[in-house]
Amino acid sequence: MAQIIKNTLKYYHTFDPLTKRHYINGYQAVLHCHHYATLYTQLALDAGETELLQECARDAFREVLDTYFKDNPDIKTLSEKIDIAVQYYSLMGLGKMKVNFLGDYSGEVELLSSHIDSGWLRKWGPYDKPVNYISAGYIEAMFESVLGLPSGTFCAKEIQSIVMGSKTSIFKITRR
Amino acid sequence: MAIDRKKIIELMSKIDVLPDENGIIEGFNVYVNQLPTKFWNSFAERLTNKAENPDILQAKEYLLYNAAHECGYHTGYGIITSEEWNAVVAPMIEKVPEDILFGAYAVFTAWGWADAEIVELIPNERMVIRAYNYYESDIVKFGYSNKLSAYMIAGVSAAFMDLAYGGEYDPKGKPIGTFECKQIKGIETGDSYGEFVVTRAK
Repeated sequence: MAQIIKNTLKYYHTFDPLTKRHYINGYQAVLHCHHYATLYTQLALDAGETELLQECARDAFREVLDTYFKDNPDIKTLSEKIDIAVQYYSLMGLGKMKVNFLGDYSGEVELLSSHIDSGWLRKWGPYDKPVNYISAGYIEAMFESVLGLPSGTFCAKEIQSIVMGSKTSIFKITRR
Repeated sequence: MAIDRKKIIELMSKIDVLPDENGIIEGFNVYVNQLPTKFWNSFAERLTNKAENPDILQAKEYLLYNAAHECGYHTGYGIITSEEWNAVVAPMIEKVPEDILFGAYAVFTAWGWADAEIVELIPNERMVIRAYNYYESDIVKFGYSNKLSAYMIAGVSAAFMDLAYGGEYDPKGKPIGTFECKQIKGIETGDSYGEFVVTRAK
């Protein structure tokens, strides 16, 4: 069990000795590797199910963020909430993101580093199209959670990709 | 048997996995992530549940199994060559590779993949795993599914046998598939535990 506070994001990790399950800030988490995450992505591409992958990511991350904000009512402002969401992305090992702008109808997020892209490059090398549907789902969840809007309000699309050779990945967010 | 499963689980489950300044977690020879189990479960279940016919279902299930098979091979190797393994598990090993396999399932449990252990092992031939609690069974909240759904446990179990008896570790993963695993029981289908049989691939 550990409680670490880095910047403002609380990290409370527990392991239930009876069920042998891990919890981070109350949600059940599991360790996996870039092979698993990139193969899920490849599977989604092959099966034509990238939207499903993105939607599953959005739903799962939305619950994590909503729970955190509910449990920490001291985080009030939009700026504070975005800061927490950005740190959460890193805590999960997904990389480092920068929110270039966020509005009621649109936004832009940049990934300075990315678990999925780095993992893909390490496993298979460069690719000819974006692959980071898991982060797209996270970004949609982040926008919807910090603005208190229903799930499915926003659509995130990767328009620049590390896996395609760019230094950073960029996601354009549009209200549906 | 020198492997102290309880001690391994106790020590290895306490490790906090934290990212570097770039939000990347490097460890065990792979990049690590710690995502909600709901994410993995929801994609696997929704993907397979919408399969239009048995052939498509089988293909999707194989791909989910294969993702875990590759993951288990590389991450499994990373685990059994890690500093943490050398500190905690390696001193308990007397018989190679069998004790490594027993130790690996203690770590498997400590990582939160499943409360799973080996109940039968015929070296280089067959292994039976029982999982008494595992997140992949969370897809059912009431009643029982008619579909065995622990693709991750099955894939990783095959991978562990590949590592034990499939020859030297290959970063390109050539020995992956030396063994195969079939789930024969599942908590999600109403059994009191999940059971997995690993044999040489046909």
